[in-house]
Amino acid sequence: MPILIFANLAIAELVRRRVIAAVAVLTAACIALTGWAFSKLHQYALAHAATITRGDEAMANSMQVILLAHMFGMVLAVGAAFLAAPAIASDVESGVALAILPRPVRRVDLLLGKFLGLAAVTIGFVFLTGGVEFAVVHAVTGYSPPHPIEALSYISAGAVVLLALALAGSTRFSPIAVGIVAVALYGVSWIGQVADAVAAAYHNGAIRTACTIISLLIPSGGMWRGAIYNLEPAMLAAVSAQVSVNPITVTSPPTQAYLIWTAAWVVAVLAGAVAAFKRRDV
Amino acid sequence: MYTNALTKFYGPVTALAGLTMSVPHGEIFGFLGPNGAGKTTAVKLLLGLARATSGVARVLGASPDNLDMRRRIGYLPELFRYQDWLSAREVLALHCALAGVARARRRDAIGDSLALVGLAARSGDRVGSFSKGMQQRLGLAVALVAEPEVVFLDEPTSALDPVGRHDVREVLRSLKARGATVFLNSHMLSEVEQVCDRVAVVDRGRVVALGTLAELIGGPKRVRIGLESVTAGFVAAAARFGDVEQADGSSIVVSGVVAGKIPDAVAALIAAGARIISVAPESQTLEDRFLSILRKPDDADSDLR
Repeated sequence: MPILIFANLAIAELVRRRVIAAVAVLTAACIALTGWAFSKLHQYALAHAATITRGDEAMANSMQVILLAHMFGMVLAVGAAFLAAPAIASDVESGVALAILPRPVRRVDLLLGKFLGLAAVTIGFVFLTGGVEFAVVHAVTGYSPPHPIEALSYISAGAVVLLALALAGSTRFSPIAVGIVAVALYGVSWIGQVADAVAAAYHNGAIRTACTIISLLIPSGGMWRGAIYNLEPAMLAAVSAQVSVNPITVTSPPTQAYLIWTAAWVVAVLAGAVAAFKRRDV
Repeated sequence: MYTNALTKFYGPVTALAGLTMSVPHGEIFGFLGPNGAGKTTAVKLLLGLARATSGVARVLGASPDNLDMRRRIGYLPELFRYQDWLSAREVLALHCALAGVARARRRDAIGDSLALVGLAARSGDRVGSFSKGMQQRLGLAVALVAEPEVVFLDEPTSALDPVGRHDVREVLRSLKARGATVFLNSHMLSEVEQVCDRVAVVDRGRVVALGTLAELIGGPKRVRIGLESVTAGFVAAAARFGDVEQADGSSIVVSGVVAGKIPDAVAALIAAGARIISVAPESQTLEDRFLSILRKPDDADSDLR
Protein backbone atom coordinates (compact mmCIF):
# COMPACT_ATOMS: atom_id res chain seq x y z
CA MET A 1 0.00 0.00 0.00
CA PRO A 2 1.65 3.27 -1.09
CA ILE A 3 0.44 5.15 1.98
CA LEU A 4 2.29 2.71 4.27
CA ILE A 5 5.37 2.80 2.04
CA PHE A 6 5.52 6.57 2.45
CA ALA A 7 4.86 6.33 6.19
CA ASN A 8 7.74 3.87 6.54
CA LEU A 9 9.92 6.10 4.38
CA ALA A 10 9.21 9.11 6.61
CA ILE A 11 10.16 7.12 9.71
CA ALA A 12 13.26 5.65 8.04
CA GLU A 13 14.40 9.12 7.05
CA LEU A 14 14.22 10.32 10.66
CA VAL A 15 16.20 7.28 11.78
CA ARG A 16 18.83 7.49 9.01
CA ARG A 17 19.33 11.21 9.38
CA ARG A 18 19.87 10.55 13.10
CA VAL A 19 17.06 12.89 14.11
CA ILE A 20 15.66 10.26 16.45
CA ALA A 21 19.10 9.42 17.87
CA ALA A 22 19.87 13.09 18.53
CA VAL A 23 16.50 13.71 20.18
CA ALA A 24 16.80 10.49 22.20
CA VAL A 25 20.20 11.49 23.58
CA LEU A 26 19.02 14.99 24.42
CA THR A 27 15.82 13.70 26.00
CA ALA A 28 17.68 11.09 28.04
CA ALA A 29 20.00 13.81 29.33
CA CYS A 30 16.98 15.97 30.18
CA ILE A 31 15.24 13.14 32.03
CA ALA A 32 18.42 12.31 33.93
CA LEU A 33 18.86 15.95 34.90
CA THR A 34 15.27 16.40 36.03
CA GLY A 35 15.39 13.07 37.86
CA TRP A 36 18.49 14.24 39.71
CA ALA A 37 16.77 17.57 40.54
CA PHE A 38 13.62 15.80 41.81
CA SER A 39 15.72 13.50 43.99
CA LYS A 40 17.58 16.47 45.48
CA LEU A 41 14.32 18.21 46.28
CA HIS A 42 12.94 15.01 47.78
CA GLN A 43 16.02 14.63 49.98
CA TYR A 44 15.61 18.24 51.07
CA ALA A 45 11.97 17.60 51.92
CA LEU A 46 12.90 14.50 53.92
CA ALA A 47 15.59 16.44 55.75
CA HIS A 48 13.05 19.12 56.63
CA ALA A 49 10.12 16.86 57.32
CA ALA A 50 9.19 18.92 60.33
CA THR A 51 8.26 21.92 58.17
CA ILE A 52 7.59 20.32 54.77
CA THR A 53 4.71 17.87 54.83
CA ARG A 54 4.15 15.07 52.32
CA GLY A 55 1.29 17.13 50.95
CA ASP A 56 3.52 20.16 50.46
CA GLU A 57 6.04 18.06 48.63
CA ALA A 58 3.39 16.45 46.43
CA MET A 59 2.07 19.92 45.58
CA ALA A 60 5.56 21.12 44.66
CA ASN A 61 6.23 18.00 42.61
CA SER A 62 2.96 18.35 40.75
CA MET A 63 3.74 21.97 39.86
CA GLN A 64 7.20 21.01 38.66
CA VAL A 65 5.80 18.19 36.54
CA ILE A 66 3.36 20.69 35.02
CA LEU A 67 6.17 23.13 34.27
CA LEU A 68 8.13 20.28 32.71
CA ALA A 69 5.08 19.50 30.59
CA HIS A 70 5.05 23.14 29.46
CA MET A 71 8.66 22.87 28.34
CA PHE A 72 8.10 19.45 26.82
CA GLY A 73 5.00 20.64 24.96
CA MET A 74 6.81 23.65 23.55
CA VAL A 75 9.80 21.61 22.38
CA LEU A 76 7.45 19.07 20.88
CA ALA A 77 5.45 21.75 19.09
CA VAL A 78 8.58 23.27 17.57
CA GLY A 79 9.81 19.80 16.67
CA ALA A 80 6.53 18.79 15.05
CA ALA A 81 6.38 22.03 13.06
CA PHE A 82 9.92 21.66 11.77
CA LEU A 83 9.49 17.96 10.98
CA ALA A 84 6.39 18.54 8.91
CA ALA A 85 7.31 21.89 7.35
CA PRO A 86 9.75 20.41 4.80
CA ALA A 87 7.83 17.15 4.32
CA ILE A 88 6.31 18.05 0.96
CA ALA A 89 8.02 21.33 0.10
CA SER A 90 11.56 19.97 0.16
CA ASP A 91 10.58 16.91 -1.88
CA VAL A 92 9.16 19.22 -4.53
CA GLU A 93 12.05 21.70 -4.41
CA SER A 94 14.77 19.04 -4.49
CA GLY A 95 13.29 16.96 -7.29
CA VAL A 96 12.53 13.88 -5.17
CA ALA A 97 8.83 14.32 -5.97
CA LEU A 98 9.60 14.27 -9.71
CA ALA A 99 10.80 10.70 -9.44
CA ILE A 100 8.07 9.48 -7.12
CA LEU A 101 4.85 11.06 -8.35
CA PRO A 102 4.84 9.52 -11.86
CA ARG A 103 4.65 6.13 -10.17
CA PRO A 104 1.17 4.62 -9.73
CA VAL A 105 0.57 6.54 -6.53
CA ARG A 106 -1.87 9.29 -5.69
CA ARG A 107 -0.70 12.50 -4.15
CA VAL A 108 -3.00 11.86 -1.20
CA ASP A 109 -0.97 8.68 -0.54
CA LEU A 110 2.26 10.64 -0.32
CA LEU A 111 0.79 13.33 1.90
CA LEU A 112 -1.10 11.07 4.28
CA GLY A 113 1.77 8.60 4.35
CA LYS A 114 4.11 11.33 5.51
CA PHE A 115 1.54 12.49 8.05
CA LEU A 116 1.09 8.99 9.45
CA GLY A 117 4.83 8.39 9.66
CA LEU A 118 5.55 11.68 11.39
CA ALA A 119 2.54 11.32 13.69
CA ALA A 120 3.61 7.79 14.67
CA VAL A 121 7.10 9.00 15.55
CA THR A 122 5.78 12.01 17.44
CA ILE A 123 3.18 10.10 19.44
CA GLY A 124 5.67 7.32 20.16
CA PHE A 125 8.15 9.92 21.36
CA VAL A 126 5.55 11.57 23.62
CA PHE A 127 4.50 8.34 25.29
CA LEU A 128 7.99 6.92 25.60
CA THR A 129 9.70 9.99 26.99
CA GLY A 130 6.67 11.12 28.99
CA GLY A 131 6.28 7.67 30.45
CA VAL A 132 9.95 7.44 31.37
CA GLU A 133 9.88 10.92 32.91
CA PHE A 134 6.83 10.09 35.02
CA ALA A 135 8.41 6.79 36.04
CA VAL A 136 11.63 8.53 37.08
CA VAL A 137 9.70 11.14 39.09
CA HIS A 138 7.72 8.38 40.79
CA ALA A 139 10.85 6.38 41.51
CA VAL A 140 12.70 9.26 43.19
CA THR A 141 9.80 11.07 44.89
CA GLY A 142 6.88 8.64 44.99
CA TYR A 143 4.71 11.18 43.16
CA SER A 144 2.66 10.32 40.07
CA PRO A 145 0.41 12.71 38.16
CA PRO A 146 -3.27 11.76 38.42
CA HIS A 147 -3.99 10.93 34.77
CA PRO A 148 -0.70 10.39 32.92
CA ILE A 149 -2.15 8.51 29.91
CA GLU A 150 -4.78 11.20 29.33
CA ALA A 151 -2.18 13.95 29.74
CA LEU A 152 0.17 12.34 27.22
CA SER A 153 -2.74 11.81 24.85
CA TYR A 154 -3.56 15.52 24.96
CA ILE A 155 0.09 16.44 24.43
CA SER A 156 0.17 14.09 21.44
CA ALA A 157 -3.02 15.60 20.07
CA GLY A 158 -1.50 19.09 20.30
CA ALA A 159 1.52 17.89 18.35
CA VAL A 160 -0.70 16.22 15.74
CA VAL A 161 -2.56 19.52 15.29
CA LEU A 162 0.73 21.24 14.53
CA LEU A 163 1.87 18.40 12.27
CA ALA A 164 -1.30 18.74 10.21
CA LEU A 165 -0.94 22.51 10.06
CA ALA A 166 2.71 22.44 8.99
CA LEU A 167 2.10 19.65 6.49
CA ALA A 168 -0.72 21.63 4.91
CA GLY A 169 1.53 24.68 4.63
CA SER A 170 4.26 22.50 3.18
CA THR A 171 2.15 21.75 0.11
CA ARG A 172 2.36 25.38 -0.98
CA PHE A 173 5.06 27.28 0.87
CA SER A 174 8.76 27.00 1.65
CA PRO A 175 9.84 24.92 4.67
CA ILE A 176 11.28 27.85 6.60
CA ALA A 177 8.17 29.98 6.14
CA VAL A 178 5.89 27.14 7.18
CA GLY A 179 8.04 26.27 10.22
CA ILE A 180 8.06 29.83 11.50
CA VAL A 181 4.35 30.36 10.91
CA ALA A 182 3.40 27.07 12.58
CA VAL A 183 5.47 27.82 15.69
CA ALA A 184 4.07 31.37 15.80
CA LEU A 185 0.50 30.04 15.59
CA TYR A 186 1.27 27.55 18.34
CA GLY A 187 2.40 30.48 20.48
CA VAL A 188 -0.74 32.44 19.66
CA SER A 189 -2.93 29.47 20.53
CA TRP A 190 -1.06 28.91 23.82
CA ILE A 191 -1.23 32.54 24.86
CA GLY A 192 -4.91 32.52 23.88
CA GLN A 193 -5.52 29.93 26.60
CA VAL A 194 -3.60 31.99 29.16
CA ALA A 195 -5.41 35.18 28.15
CA ASP A 196 -8.72 33.35 28.40
CA ALA A 197 -7.99 32.46 32.03
CA VAL A 198 -7.11 36.08 32.81
CA ALA A 199 -10.16 37.39 30.95
CA ALA A 200 -12.38 34.96 32.85
CA ALA A 201 -11.10 36.32 36.15
CA TYR A 202 -11.82 39.88 35.03
CA HIS A 203 -15.13 38.96 33.36
CA ASN A 204 -14.01 40.42 30.02
CA GLY A 205 -16.37 38.97 27.43
CA ALA A 206 -14.65 40.48 24.37
CA ILE A 207 -11.28 38.95 25.19
CA ARG A 208 -12.88 35.63 26.01
CA THR A 209 -14.67 35.64 22.65
CA ALA A 210 -11.40 36.40 20.87
CA CYS A 211 -9.68 33.59 22.79
CA THR A 212 -12.46 31.17 21.91
CA ILE A 213 -12.09 32.02 18.23
CA ILE A 214 -8.33 31.50 18.49
CA SER A 215 -8.80 28.16 20.19
CA LEU A 216 -11.18 27.09 17.43
CA LEU A 217 -8.86 28.23 14.64
CA ILE A 218 -5.73 26.67 16.18
CA PRO A 219 -6.75 23.97 18.66
CA SER A 220 -3.23 23.15 19.88
CA GLY A 221 -3.74 25.47 22.87
CA GLY A 222 -6.91 23.62 23.81
CA MET A 223 -5.01 20.35 23.77
CA TRP A 224 -2.37 21.88 26.02
CA ARG A 225 -5.16 22.85 28.38
CA GLY A 226 -6.36 19.24 28.49
CA ALA A 227 -2.86 17.97 29.18
CA ILE A 228 -2.33 20.33 32.10
CA TYR A 229 -5.75 19.54 33.57
CA ASN A 230 -4.88 15.85 33.64
CA LEU A 231 -1.56 16.54 35.35
CA GLU A 232 -3.13 18.50 38.20
CA PRO A 233 -3.86 16.56 41.38
CA ALA A 234 -7.18 17.38 43.06
CA MET A 235 -5.32 19.28 45.77
CA LEU A 236 -3.71 21.63 43.25
CA ALA A 237 -6.97 22.09 41.37
CA ALA A 238 -8.69 23.06 44.62
CA VAL A 239 -6.00 25.61 45.42
CA SER A 240 -6.12 26.97 41.86
CA ALA A 241 -9.86 27.43 42.10
CA GLN A 242 -9.33 29.71 45.09
CA VAL A 243 -6.98 32.00 43.17
CA SER A 244 -8.73 34.67 41.16
CA VAL A 245 -6.12 34.86 38.35
CA ASN A 246 -4.04 31.76 37.67
CA PRO A 247 -3.14 31.41 34.02
CA ILE A 248 -0.74 28.50 34.49
CA THR A 249 -3.14 25.94 35.92
CA VAL A 250 -6.44 24.80 34.46
CA THR A 251 -9.74 24.39 36.24
CA SER A 252 -11.72 22.49 33.61
CA PRO A 253 -10.86 20.09 30.76
CA PRO A 254 -11.80 20.67 27.11
CA THR A 255 -15.40 19.74 26.39
CA GLN A 256 -16.33 16.72 24.32
CA ALA A 257 -17.62 19.05 21.62
CA TYR A 258 -14.21 20.73 21.51
CA LEU A 259 -12.47 17.37 21.16
CA ILE A 260 -14.76 16.50 18.25
CA TRP A 261 -14.07 19.91 16.75
CA THR A 262 -10.31 19.31 17.05
CA ALA A 263 -10.54 15.93 15.33
CA ALA A 264 -12.66 17.48 12.58
CA TRP A 265 -10.17 20.35 12.32
CA VAL A 266 -7.29 17.93 11.70
CA VAL A 267 -9.30 16.07 9.06
CA ALA A 268 -10.33 19.33 7.37
CA VAL A 269 -6.79 20.71 7.34
CA LEU A 270 -5.45 17.48 5.84
CA ALA A 271 -8.26 17.49 3.26
CA GLY A 272 -7.31 21.06 2.36
CA ALA A 273 -3.69 20.02 2.11
CA VAL A 274 -4.57 17.17 -0.24
CA ALA A 275 -6.64 19.51 -2.43
CA ALA A 276 -3.81 22.07 -2.56
CA PHE A 277 -1.17 19.46 -3.31
CA LYS A 278 -3.29 17.91 -6.06
CA ARG A 279 -3.43 21.21 -7.87
CA ARG A 280 0.26 21.98 -7.49
CA ASP A 281 2.57 21.64 -10.49
CA VAL A 282 5.80 19.92 -9.56
CA MET B 1 1.06 8.51 -26.80
CA TYR B 2 -0.41 11.63 -28.25
CA THR B 3 -1.15 15.22 -27.48
CA ASN B 4 -3.70 17.49 -29.05
CA ALA B 5 -3.50 21.28 -28.72
CA LEU B 6 -1.76 20.83 -25.39
CA THR B 7 -1.23 24.20 -23.77
CA LYS B 8 0.36 25.28 -20.53
CA PHE B 9 0.64 28.78 -19.13
CA TYR B 10 2.69 29.60 -16.04
CA GLY B 11 1.13 32.92 -15.18
CA PRO B 12 1.85 35.17 -18.16
CA VAL B 13 4.48 32.81 -19.55
CA THR B 14 3.48 30.40 -22.29
CA ALA B 15 5.38 27.19 -21.70
CA LEU B 16 3.51 25.13 -24.26
CA ALA B 17 1.41 26.59 -27.06
CA GLY B 18 -0.86 23.96 -28.55
CA LEU B 19 1.44 20.96 -28.82
CA THR B 20 0.04 18.34 -31.17
CA MET B 21 1.93 15.15 -31.91
CA SER B 22 1.73 11.39 -31.63
CA VAL B 23 4.25 8.67 -30.96
CA PRO B 24 3.42 5.12 -32.00
CA HIS B 25 4.27 2.06 -29.94
CA GLY B 26 7.85 0.82 -30.17
CA GLU B 27 9.39 4.02 -31.49
CA ILE B 28 12.35 5.97 -30.16
CA PHE B 29 11.08 9.50 -30.43
CA GLY B 30 13.46 12.42 -30.13
CA PHE B 31 12.09 15.64 -28.69
CA LEU B 32 14.45 18.46 -29.53
CA GLY B 33 14.47 22.12 -28.82
CA PRO B 34 16.47 24.96 -27.35
CA ASN B 35 16.41 25.73 -23.64
CA GLY B 36 12.98 26.94 -22.57
CA ALA B 37 11.26 25.50 -25.64
CA GLY B 38 8.77 23.55 -23.54
CA LYS B 39 10.28 20.06 -23.73
CA THR B 40 10.26 19.32 -20.02
CA THR B 41 6.83 20.93 -19.62
CA ALA B 42 5.45 18.58 -22.26
CA VAL B 43 6.81 15.56 -20.39
CA LYS B 44 5.43 16.82 -17.09
CA LEU B 45 1.98 17.24 -18.63
CA LEU B 46 2.12 13.74 -20.11
CA LEU B 47 3.05 12.30 -16.70
CA GLY B 48 0.55 14.31 -14.65
CA LEU B 49 3.26 16.21 -12.80
CA ALA B 50 1.76 19.47 -14.03
CA ARG B 51 -1.77 20.27 -15.12
CA ALA B 52 -2.48 21.41 -18.65
CA THR B 53 -4.18 24.75 -19.14
CA SER B 54 -6.02 23.19 -22.07
CA GLY B 55 -5.71 20.38 -24.57
CA VAL B 56 -5.39 16.63 -24.35
CA ALA B 57 -2.52 14.37 -23.34
CA ARG B 58 -2.65 10.58 -23.47
CA VAL B 59 -0.04 7.94 -22.71
CA LEU B 60 -0.78 4.33 -23.63
CA GLY B 61 -4.20 5.70 -24.49
CA ALA B 62 -4.89 6.83 -20.93
CA SER B 63 -4.98 10.17 -19.16
CA PRO B 64 -1.89 11.23 -17.17
CA ASP B 65 -3.68 10.54 -13.86
CA ASN B 66 -4.46 6.92 -14.71
CA LEU B 67 -2.65 4.68 -12.21
CA ASP B 68 -2.74 1.59 -14.45
CA MET B 69 -0.96 3.55 -17.14
CA ARG B 70 1.65 4.70 -14.65
CA ARG B 71 2.49 1.10 -13.78
CA ARG B 72 3.67 0.73 -17.37
CA ILE B 73 5.94 3.75 -17.66
CA GLY B 74 9.38 4.78 -16.48
CA TYR B 75 10.74 8.30 -16.11
CA LEU B 76 14.15 9.84 -15.71
CA PRO B 77 13.66 13.53 -14.86
CA GLU B 78 16.15 16.16 -15.94
CA LEU B 79 16.58 17.84 -12.56
CA PHE B 80 16.02 15.23 -9.94
CA ARG B 81 17.32 13.88 -6.70
CA TYR B 82 16.78 10.63 -4.95
CA GLN B 83 16.72 10.24 -1.18
CA ASP B 84 20.42 10.77 -0.47
CA TRP B 85 20.17 8.81 2.77
CA LEU B 86 19.17 5.62 0.92
CA SER B 87 21.53 3.26 -0.89
CA ALA B 88 21.19 2.73 -4.64
CA ARG B 89 19.65 -0.68 -3.99
CA GLU B 90 17.16 0.81 -1.51
CA VAL B 91 16.13 3.51 -3.99
CA LEU B 92 15.40 0.83 -6.55
CA ALA B 93 13.56 -1.28 -3.96
CA LEU B 94 11.40 1.74 -3.14
CA HIS B 95 10.53 2.27 -6.78
CA CYS B 96 9.83 -1.44 -7.29
CA ALA B 97 7.39 -1.27 -4.39
CA LEU B 98 5.75 1.91 -5.71
CA ALA B 99 5.54 0.53 -9.25
CA GLY B 100 3.93 -2.67 -8.01
CA VAL B 101 6.71 -5.03 -9.14
CA ALA B 102 5.97 -8.49 -7.73
CA ARG B 103 8.03 -9.22 -4.59
CA ALA B 104 9.46 -12.39 -6.10
CA ARG B 105 10.84 -10.43 -9.03
CA ARG B 106 12.25 -7.43 -7.18
CA ARG B 107 15.64 -8.87 -6.31
CA ASP B 108 16.40 -9.82 -9.91
CA ALA B 109 14.91 -6.61 -11.29
CA ILE B 110 17.10 -4.51 -9.01
CA GLY B 111 20.23 -6.51 -9.75
CA ASP B 112 19.63 -6.39 -13.49
CA SER B 113 18.99 -2.65 -13.47
CA LEU B 114 22.11 -1.90 -11.44
CA ALA B 115 24.20 -4.07 -13.75
CA LEU B 116 22.68 -2.44 -16.81
CA VAL B 117 23.82 1.02 -15.74
CA GLY B 118 27.15 -0.09 -14.32
CA LEU B 119 26.36 0.47 -10.64
CA ALA B 120 26.37 -3.12 -9.40
CA ALA B 121 29.58 -2.55 -7.45
CA ARG B 122 28.12 0.52 -5.72
CA SER B 123 24.68 -0.87 -4.95
CA GLY B 124 25.12 -0.61 -1.18
CA ASP B 125 26.54 2.92 -1.20
CA ARG B 126 24.45 5.85 -0.16
CA VAL B 127 23.14 7.96 -3.01
CA GLY B 128 24.50 11.05 -1.27
CA SER B 129 28.01 9.84 -2.00
CA PHE B 130 27.37 9.49 -5.75
CA SER B 131 28.75 11.85 -8.39
CA LYS B 132 26.27 13.58 -10.67
CA GLY B 133 27.00 11.09 -13.43
CA MET B 134 26.42 8.15 -11.10
CA GLN B 135 23.15 9.68 -9.95
CA GLN B 136 22.11 9.95 -13.58
CA ARG B 137 22.99 6.29 -14.09
CA LEU B 138 20.90 5.46 -11.03
CA GLY B 139 18.09 7.57 -12.46
CA LEU B 140 18.18 5.48 -15.61
CA ALA B 141 18.08 2.30 -13.53
CA VAL B 142 15.07 3.66 -11.63
CA ALA B 143 13.31 4.48 -14.90
CA LEU B 144 13.87 0.95 -16.21
CA VAL B 145 13.55 -1.21 -13.10
CA ALA B 146 9.86 -2.01 -13.58
CA GLU B 147 10.36 -2.97 -17.25
CA PRO B 148 8.17 -0.16 -18.56
CA GLU B 149 6.45 -0.14 -21.92
CA VAL B 150 7.06 3.58 -22.30
CA VAL B 151 10.17 5.32 -21.04
CA PHE B 152 10.50 9.09 -20.71
CA LEU B 153 14.11 10.21 -20.57
CA ASP B 154 14.71 13.90 -19.99
CA GLU B 155 18.30 14.77 -20.89
CA PRO B 156 19.55 11.31 -19.86
CA THR B 157 23.20 11.94 -20.74
CA SER B 158 23.71 15.53 -19.65
CA ALA B 159 26.03 14.52 -16.77
CA LEU B 160 27.63 11.49 -18.39
CA ASP B 161 31.10 11.02 -19.84
CA PRO B 162 31.50 9.64 -23.40
CA VAL B 163 31.51 6.05 -22.13
CA GLY B 164 28.31 6.70 -20.21
CA ARG B 165 26.70 8.25 -23.27
CA HIS B 166 27.63 5.23 -25.33
CA ASP B 167 26.13 2.97 -22.66
CA VAL B 168 22.90 4.95 -22.70
CA ARG B 169 22.66 4.62 -26.47
CA GLU B 170 23.08 0.87 -26.09
CA VAL B 171 20.35 0.84 -23.46
CA LEU B 172 18.05 2.75 -25.81
CA ARG B 173 18.71 0.26 -28.57
CA SER B 174 17.98 -2.64 -26.22
CA LEU B 175 14.71 -0.96 -25.21
CA LYS B 176 13.73 -0.67 -28.84
CA ALA B 177 14.68 -4.32 -29.39
CA ARG B 178 12.22 -5.40 -26.71
CA GLY B 179 9.49 -3.22 -28.18
CA ALA B 180 9.46 -0.38 -25.65
CA THR B 181 8.61 3.16 -26.66
CA VAL B 182 11.14 5.82 -25.72
CA PHE B 183 10.43 9.51 -25.48
CA LEU B 184 13.87 11.11 -25.50
CA ASN B 185 14.04 14.72 -24.47
CA SER B 186 17.42 16.07 -25.43
CA HIS B 187 19.47 18.78 -26.95
CA MET B 188 22.33 16.37 -27.57
CA LEU B 189 21.75 16.29 -31.33
CA SER B 190 24.36 13.66 -32.17
CA GLU B 191 22.77 11.33 -29.63
CA VAL B 192 19.32 11.85 -31.10
CA GLU B 193 20.68 11.38 -34.61
CA GLN B 194 22.15 8.01 -33.68
CA VAL B 195 19.18 6.39 -31.99
CA CYS B 196 15.88 8.09 -32.84
CA ASP B 197 13.36 6.85 -35.38
CA ARG B 198 11.53 10.14 -35.51
CA VAL B 199 12.18 13.60 -34.22
CA ALA B 200 10.09 16.59 -33.26
CA VAL B 201 11.66 19.99 -32.95
CA VAL B 202 9.91 22.33 -30.53
CA ASP B 203 10.42 26.01 -30.20
CA ARG B 204 8.54 28.45 -28.00
CA GLY B 205 6.08 25.77 -26.98
CA ARG B 206 5.07 24.39 -30.36
CA VAL B 207 6.29 21.78 -32.80
CA VAL B 208 8.11 23.43 -35.68
CA ALA B 209 9.33 20.28 -37.39
CA LEU B 210 8.35 16.63 -37.15
CA GLY B 211 9.44 13.61 -39.11
CA THR B 212 11.92 10.82 -39.57
CA LEU B 213 15.57 11.74 -39.64
CA ALA B 214 15.59 11.03 -43.39
CA GLU B 215 12.71 13.44 -43.84
CA LEU B 216 14.36 16.11 -41.75
CA ILE B 217 17.92 15.91 -43.02
CA GLY B 218 17.57 13.94 -46.24
CA GLY B 219 16.57 16.94 -48.35
CA PRO B 220 18.43 18.50 -51.27
CA LYS B 221 22.17 18.25 -50.92
CA ARG B 222 25.13 20.32 -51.95
CA VAL B 223 27.76 18.55 -54.08
CA ARG B 224 31.28 19.58 -55.09
CA ILE B 225 32.46 17.93 -58.35
CA GLY B 226 36.19 18.06 -59.14
CA LEU B 227 37.02 18.17 -62.89
CA GLU B 228 40.18 18.23 -65.02
CA SER B 229 38.80 21.39 -66.58
CA VAL B 230 35.56 23.35 -66.48
CA THR B 231 33.77 24.58 -69.55
CA ALA B 232 30.51 26.47 -70.09
CA GLY B 233 28.96 23.23 -71.38
CA PHE B 234 29.86 21.40 -68.20
CA VAL B 235 28.35 24.19 -66.10
CA ALA B 236 25.16 24.05 -68.18
CA ALA B 237 24.99 20.27 -67.73
CA ALA B 238 25.43 20.59 -63.96
CA ALA B 239 22.83 23.38 -63.76
CA ARG B 240 20.12 20.92 -64.87
CA PHE B 241 20.38 19.31 -61.43
CA GLY B 242 20.54 22.32 -59.13
CA ASP B 243 21.90 25.78 -58.60
CA VAL B 244 25.52 26.21 -59.61
CA GLU B 245 26.98 28.12 -56.69
CA GLN B 246 30.55 28.12 -57.84
CA ALA B 247 32.49 27.17 -60.98
CA ASP B 248 36.23 27.71 -61.27
CA GLY B 249 38.99 26.03 -63.25
CA SER B 250 38.84 22.74 -61.41
CA SER B 251 35.45 22.30 -59.73
CA ILE B 252 31.75 23.00 -59.88
CA VAL B 253 29.65 23.35 -56.70
CA VAL B 254 25.96 22.60 -57.15
CA SER B 255 23.43 23.09 -54.39
CA GLY B 256 19.85 21.87 -54.09
CA VAL B 257 20.57 18.54 -55.76
CA VAL B 258 17.75 16.14 -55.02
CA ALA B 259 18.97 13.12 -53.07
CA GLY B 260 19.56 10.26 -55.53
CA LYS B 261 20.20 12.55 -58.48
CA ILE B 262 23.92 13.03 -57.86
CA PRO B 263 24.88 9.97 -60.01
CA ASP B 264 22.69 11.37 -62.80
CA ALA B 265 24.50 14.71 -62.58
CA VAL B 266 27.86 12.95 -62.79
CA ALA B 267 26.65 10.89 -65.75
CA ALA B 268 25.45 14.04 -67.52
CA LEU B 269 28.84 15.69 -67.04
CA ILE B 270 30.63 12.62 -68.41
CA ALA B 271 28.24 12.55 -71.33
CA ALA B 272 29.13 16.20 -71.96
CA GLY B 273 32.80 15.18 -72.14
CA ALA B 274 33.94 16.06 -68.64
CA ARG B 275 36.66 14.04 -66.89
CA ILE B 276 35.65 13.64 -63.25
CA ILE B 277 38.32 13.66 -60.54
CA SER B 278 36.13 13.68 -57.44
CA VAL B 279 32.51 13.88 -56.29
CA ALA B 280 31.96 15.14 -52.74
CA PRO B 281 28.34 15.35 -51.54
CA GLU B 282 28.07 17.58 -48.49
CA SER B 283 25.60 15.92 -46.12
CA GLN B 284 23.44 17.99 -43.86
CA THR B 285 23.68 17.05 -40.19
CA LEU B 286 20.81 17.16 -37.76
CA GLU B 287 22.54 20.09 -36.15
CA ASP B 288 22.54 21.99 -39.48
CA ARG B 289 18.87 21.21 -39.89
CA PHE B 290 18.06 22.06 -36.29
CA LEU B 291 19.73 25.44 -36.59
CA SER B 292 18.11 26.18 -39.93
CA ILE B 293 14.68 25.32 -38.52
CA LEU B 294 15.09 27.48 -35.47
CA ARG B 295 16.43 30.42 -37.47
CA LYS B 296 13.55 30.37 -39.94
CA PRO B 297 10.69 32.86 -39.72
CA ASP B 298 7.71 31.46 -37.80
CA ASP B 299 5.67 30.38 -40.81
CA ALA B 300 8.41 29.23 -43.17
CA ASP B 301 8.47 25.62 -42.04
CA SER B 302 4.82 24.80 -41.95
CA ASP B 303 5.33 22.09 -44.55
CA LEU B 304 7.30 20.08 -42.02
CA ARG B 305 4.71 20.06 -39.27
